[in-house]
Amino acid sequence: MTHGNVIGKGVPRVDARGKVTGQTKYAADIRLPGMHYGKIVFSPHPRARVLEIDCRAAESMPGVRKVITARNLPGSNRYGYDVAHRPVLVPEGEETRYIGDAVAMVVASSEELADRAAAAIAVRYELLAPLTSPRQAMEPGAYLVHAEAAGNRCCLREFVHGDVAVGFQTSEVVVEQTYFTPRQEQAFLEPESGVAYQDDSGVLHVISCLQDPYGVAEDIHLALAIPKSRIHVKGTPVGGGFGGKLNTTIQVHLAAMACLAEVPVMLVLDREESFAFHPKRHPTEIRLKLGAGRDGTIHALEGDVIADAGPYSGRSPEVLGLTMSALMGPYRIPNVLTRAEGIYTNNLDSGAFRGFGAPQAAIARECLLDKLARALAMDPLELRRRNFLRPGDRPTSPMLGDSPVSLELLTERIVEKLGPKPSAPKNSTKRIGRSICFDMPVFDVGAIPVLGKSGVGAAVEVHSDGSVSVYAGGTELGQGVTTVLAQMAAEQFGLPMDRIRVEMSDNWTCPRAGRTSASRLTFGLGNALLLATGRLRQTLLVRAGKMLEIAAEDLVLEGSEVRLVGVPAKALAFAEVAWMCSDRGDNLREEGWFRSAEDRYMYGHTFMAAAADVAVDIATGEIEILKLANVLDMGRVLNPAMAFGQLYGGAIQALGYGLMENMVTVDGQSKTPSFAEYVIPSALDIPEEFVAEGVETPYPTGPFGAKGIGEAALNCTTPTLLNAIADALGVEITAVPIGQEHILAAVRNQKLM
Amino acid sequence: MTRQSLVLTVNGKNHALDLAPHRSLLDVLRDELGLTGTKKGCDAGDCGACTVLLDGAPVNACLVLAVQAGGQEITTIEGVSSSDGQLHPLQEAFIEHGAVQCGFCTPGAVLSLIALLRETPRPTRAEIQEALAGNLCRCTGYVQIIDAVKSVADSSK
Repeated sequence: MTHGNVIGKGVPRVDARGKVTGQTKYAADIRLPGMHYGKIVFSPHPRARVLEIDCRAAESMPGVRKVITARNLPGSNRYGYDVAHRPVLVPEGEETRYIGDAVAMVVASSEELADRAAAAIAVRYELLAPLTSPRQAMEPGAYLVHAEAAGNRCCLREFVHGDVAVGFQTSEVVVEQTYFTPRQEQAFLEPESGVAYQDDSGVLHVISCLQDPYGVAEDIHLALAIPKSRIHVKGTPVGGGFGGKLNTTIQVHLAAMACLAEVPVMLVLDREESFAFHPKRHPTEIRLKLGAGRDGTIHALEGDVIADAGPYSGRSPEVLGLTMSALMGPYRIPNVLTRAEGIYTNNLDSGAFRGFGAPQAAIARECLLDKLARALAMDPLELRRRNFLRPGDRPTSPMLGDSPVSLELLTERIVEKLGPKPSAPKNSTKRIGRSICFDMPVFDVGAIPVLGKSGVGAAVEVHSDGSVSVYAGGTELGQGVTTVLAQMAAEQFGLPMDRIRVEMSDNWTCPRAGRTSASRLTFGLGNALLLATGRLRQTLLVRAGKMLEIAAEDLVLEGSEVRLVGVPAKALAFAEVAWMCSDRGDNLREEGWFRSAEDRYMYGHTFMAAAADVAVDIATGEIEILKLANVLDMGRVLNPAMAFGQLYGGAIQALGYGLMENMVTVDGQSKTPSFAEYVIPSALDIPEEFVAEGVETPYPTGPFGAKGIGEAALNCTTPTLLNAIADALGVEITAVPIGQEHILAAVRNQKLM
Repeated sequence: MTRQSLVLTVNGKNHALDLAPHRSLLDVLRDELGLTGTKKGCDAGDCGACTVLLDGAPVNACLVLAVQAGGQEITTIEGVSSSDGQLHPLQEAFIEHGAVQCGFCTPGAVLSLIALLRETPRPTRAEIQEALAGNLCRCTGYVQIIDAVKSVADSSK
């Protein structure tokens, strides 16, 4: 394999120019001839029986093309990942399960008319008491959100290793704590949006921002009984997803609108609808217990997670499986019992969000490790180091395979990045705290089932002019996958970046690639692409060998030529060879299907360290992050600016998670329905000094040695900030997020002032 | 519904329009003039994705009625590069420093920061953060955006 041409280089993003000039077309920027506008009527009540939907006033309004209720829908009216139990529209006689349930839809000739017509639809409800806490929902006799889910249990994930009873018996120090983590909203800037239309041949086209065109096509098929052969789903450049667009969002509704109104329809959620509608990070209650010897060696870990799954299953079983697994972290633990349970409620829905259940676990694990360090009167870094996985160790979690262990290297780098601990000025009300935490982020290695089958496909085509098309069904969310794939193809063919075009996120043109989640695209799509390009390289080399009368194995592809190394005369232009291949009928389009040799495991994994210095003002409660450092083992850095972008961005989402963000519900209603109430970090909230570094321990099965890194920074950074604050104040933090008011309350309780 | 006639000057070009007076500048730019580079993220003045310049000053186009913008010079992201396609140095710097991820906040952020650089050619880090505070970005953590601005400031005389 040749590399070094564009891999690992500061290659600019292929989509950057369109984005800085405003030319990139996001879903809401599409304009189709005859386009109408859709509007969904959502239930204002988290739990209510729909008694009657009166559409007459709306139907008689001029400009209204179609009013739709469950009565009009073809098909099952049910869809959803994991369990297809989510109604497209709640029918008369049935109950709503949260404020994101839809009851009716309109299609009108303008956005304003659609809004007015939706408001004119009169729905009579019988109000019912919602279940708004998992604890309440678990009580015997509680009403069942889904009749078939006894105890309102959505899922239970359990893991047993060794014998925790023995482990705690042999422990000399045992610490235990219950932690509460908040509901975090993805807060992507682009609301759910899309257009749909049926063409003359009866094919339904849905063009929308999404993270899984294949899953969306499946849901449309399930809900509306449209044959899969007539469903074309095309993903647009996504204005942020972070897991919030992983499940089907508006696309089934949009498809129904286009089919029933028989016009092209655009549907864009407003911000309040968006916040209410899509699944968020699970709020959890985590009881965690650690037992260790006096020397700090951990003997046992027991964890019990209760998560608010919201009204529908969706990703909850997968997310909570990872929570269960991530409680162990990058440490050797001989005796483990972890369980994570998802409970249905009538609160906002819960599902995928960058980190996918691991951030909650990391908070509990790393905060409890600091508590254990205090109980042992041991330096928290030393405690962690004593329990690190060692080279050759396999993680305890059954979901994980092998990966070179780089924890000592990360420790060295993070300590160096951190430098000497700052001190507060004399007579200041500021207190300084420091923390270093570790994590073991995971990424899919090709084993995640994709619609019942494992594997990731990608296709590549060399055209007769020597330009190249890549077809990759993943989705560009801003993470840079389009660029990384173009880099890989350019590297493989010895071509400049501008000869490569990458088409993404299309269930018709791209081989089945599954969803864009689990930091899986660079690894899975990358490997699939390398398989495809490998075969096509061979075709080109064989053809060039015949043309030059040289053995194919003596030729290389570089500098837009096929060359005999060291003999400039013996070279053909890449385009000339491509033309000849085309002329002679060689197959110039290849598909690669990647299925990891490690597919008995769910995930590959890597290692990360984060460190923070904070100053907490005990007079005002203000938290200043003086320094934040992140060091991640990236396997191989394919594109530095983009890789560090993932670290910076993930860390600031983690900062929001730990210090600012909580999507609050009361009685199932959102109390933070807009960016005015749900405040995410702005440019003023970032650390004064922010350093990020990647170390490279090549991953044996990764493309060019790379690992999946998209989600990594989120897990580790939150507990690092929390522990630094706890260190500054000498308090314990058990509930997140921590804001100024919590600091001041802690100061009062500790009588620090 | 009563309508109002006005001329909007956008990116140096005059557009005669006949509009319902309640329509936001954002909707008119996107739907009447086809300038979809200006994004709608919240329609409530919270996120800054719709930032445009009114006589050089950044505003949330969702909070300005189109009829209020008559007689002022409106600059959208489409008017930032020169007519021959030459990017503004800040746009080049965004690309070079990895300041773009999903890109949805990018047009608004670029305009806020161009306004900053016009007023304050060599801003401090704190001044850049202040100027960017109204433009939420969920992807980048702002670090590389700030780096991009600093690089333009450092290269200016």
